[in-house]
Amino acid sequence: MSDRAVQDQVIRALADAPYRASAAWRDRGLADAARVERFARFLARHFYHERVVHFFRYSGALARVTDRRPEAVLRAPQFDALLSTAVLGSRETARAVAALVVAHVAGGAVGTIPYLADLQRYEETMMVVEAGPRVWRDTGKGDGGRGKGTSPELVQGTVLLELDYDLPAVLATLLQPWATPPEAPRRPAKLLVARSRHGRVTVARADEAVASIVRLTDGVRTLEDLARAVRLPPAELEAALSGLTEIGAVRFSTGS
Amino acid sequence: MAPLKVGAFYNPHLGAELAVATGIDHLAMADPPAPSDPHWPALKQRYTLLLHDYLGQLSEPLDERAIARARALAAQYDTPWVAEHFQCLHTEDGTYNLNYVFPPLYTEEFLTRFVANATALQGRLDQPLVMENIPGFFDVRGGASRMPEPVWLRRFFEATGVGFLLDLPHVWLEAHYRGVAPEAWLAEFPLDRVVEIHVAGVEADRDLEGPWIAPTEPDDAMLDFMAHAVVRCPGAKAVTFDAFSPSLTADVLLSSVSRIRAAL
Repeated sequence: MSDRAVQDQVIRALADAPYRASAAWRDRGLADAARVERFARFLARHFYHERVVHFFRYSGALARVTDRRPEAVLRAPQFDALLSTAVLGSRETARAVAALVVAHVAGGAVGTIPYLADLQRYEETMMVVEAGPRVWRDTGKGDGGRGKGTSPELVQGTVLLELDYDLPAVLATLLQPWATPPEAPRRPAKLLVARSRHGRVTVARADEAVASIVRLTDGVRTLEDLARAVRLPPAELEAALSGLTEIGAVRFSTGS
Repeated sequence: MAPLKVGAFYNPHLGAELAVATGIDHLAMADPPAPSDPHWPALKQRYTLLLHDYLGQLSEPLDERAIARARALAAQYDTPWVAEHFQCLHTEDGTYNLNYVFPPLYTEEFLTRFVANATALQGRLDQPLVMENIPGFFDVRGGASRMPEPVWLRRFFEATGVGFLLDLPHVWLEAHYRGVAPEAWLAEFPLDRVVEIHVAGVEADRDLEGPWIAPTEPDDAMLDFMAHAVVRCPGAKAVTFDAFSPSLTADVLLSSVSRIRAAL
């Protein structure tokens, strides 16, 4: 085994609690188990602190009303209980941590913020969409191109959020100084949340055409099928798919 | 030896204070400024800026995208040198990522990788490259050709000609967890290669059951350690208070820089 492969095993042991507890890791005796466990717990708290502070920053801005800082949950027994199953960066662990944050904030004084449930769904979605393996380094083998397929597919993890409140109208204001919580207009909003291959999360408003494309893009329907289904001229469909591919919501197969 | 420059890290939430601060010569940039940062133009005009972003891990070659980003940031900051870390924090296939600095195995294989990839990166930059040491919390017993970290670093610097960004708290922490005197452990490192020195505070961490780097002021012992180190680093040009965190206050930043300057 190469030293690089040994390093990968150490990194995995620090990131992946079930692997760290497995015989496959422990029998190798590569490092002091107690020290690895302590460092892994430190890393997990750091990993999710960064993400909770970032993705739940709007709930953080509302903490002087709710009296609940999102990141406080990372010092709670419920988070400690997660550590024995946590896999840093996985969607499952992101979902579990985000759910803890949502429950923690929702337990505060939320009565005066009617859009808080929508806001938390938005923040939770952002955190979950960001999770998952990513491309750290392009290999130059054409792995970043559009591919040759003619049946686009929705990238796993892409989410179409349908909200009761128009959150984008209030998000920037929430981060500015305010005396009373800014109000969000009560009107339906559709937001597309997607992640690029390199891990960049994008949120975009989705009109009815884009929402339909997202719902119908399944890797089976061809461009012609989609154009008929969403009633868009081929050029407009191509343009929409190009934008969706750019943000990582849609991809074309790279098979021959 | 020219007087050492003393600086801190750019902390976006402290932009207003940094824009009018005195006694700070430079700002290290761990993240680019947000386009909406109203203080950025003043900061850029006021300070020498040091590129200290995550460019990539040099256990693998940087791809063209990463190199283009490094070059763009270096140009944006007009940085006198570009900093990276001796780190290997995600698996080669990208599945697992620690999102925190983590050292490589100090073996021949990793030395070959880092020498080749740092040399390639240096060849694509218009500024000198400096590399920062990273603390280990535990030893890994794998790797047939393990060598002590200071030996590995010396061989790296000799092979590449790259500069050394000496992170003193990292050395102090390693000495603490190895149970040796920080001064004795420091003496093993290739101090003749040092270009920049990082100083920071440490605090007890509940998970580690011991001290770790924290966004707090360096205590007197750390400042004494810095004074001890500086006279042994003849090529050092700058000392930087190494703290960037939303929880860092302006008082701590300004006081730390002031105390570092007084201790030099």
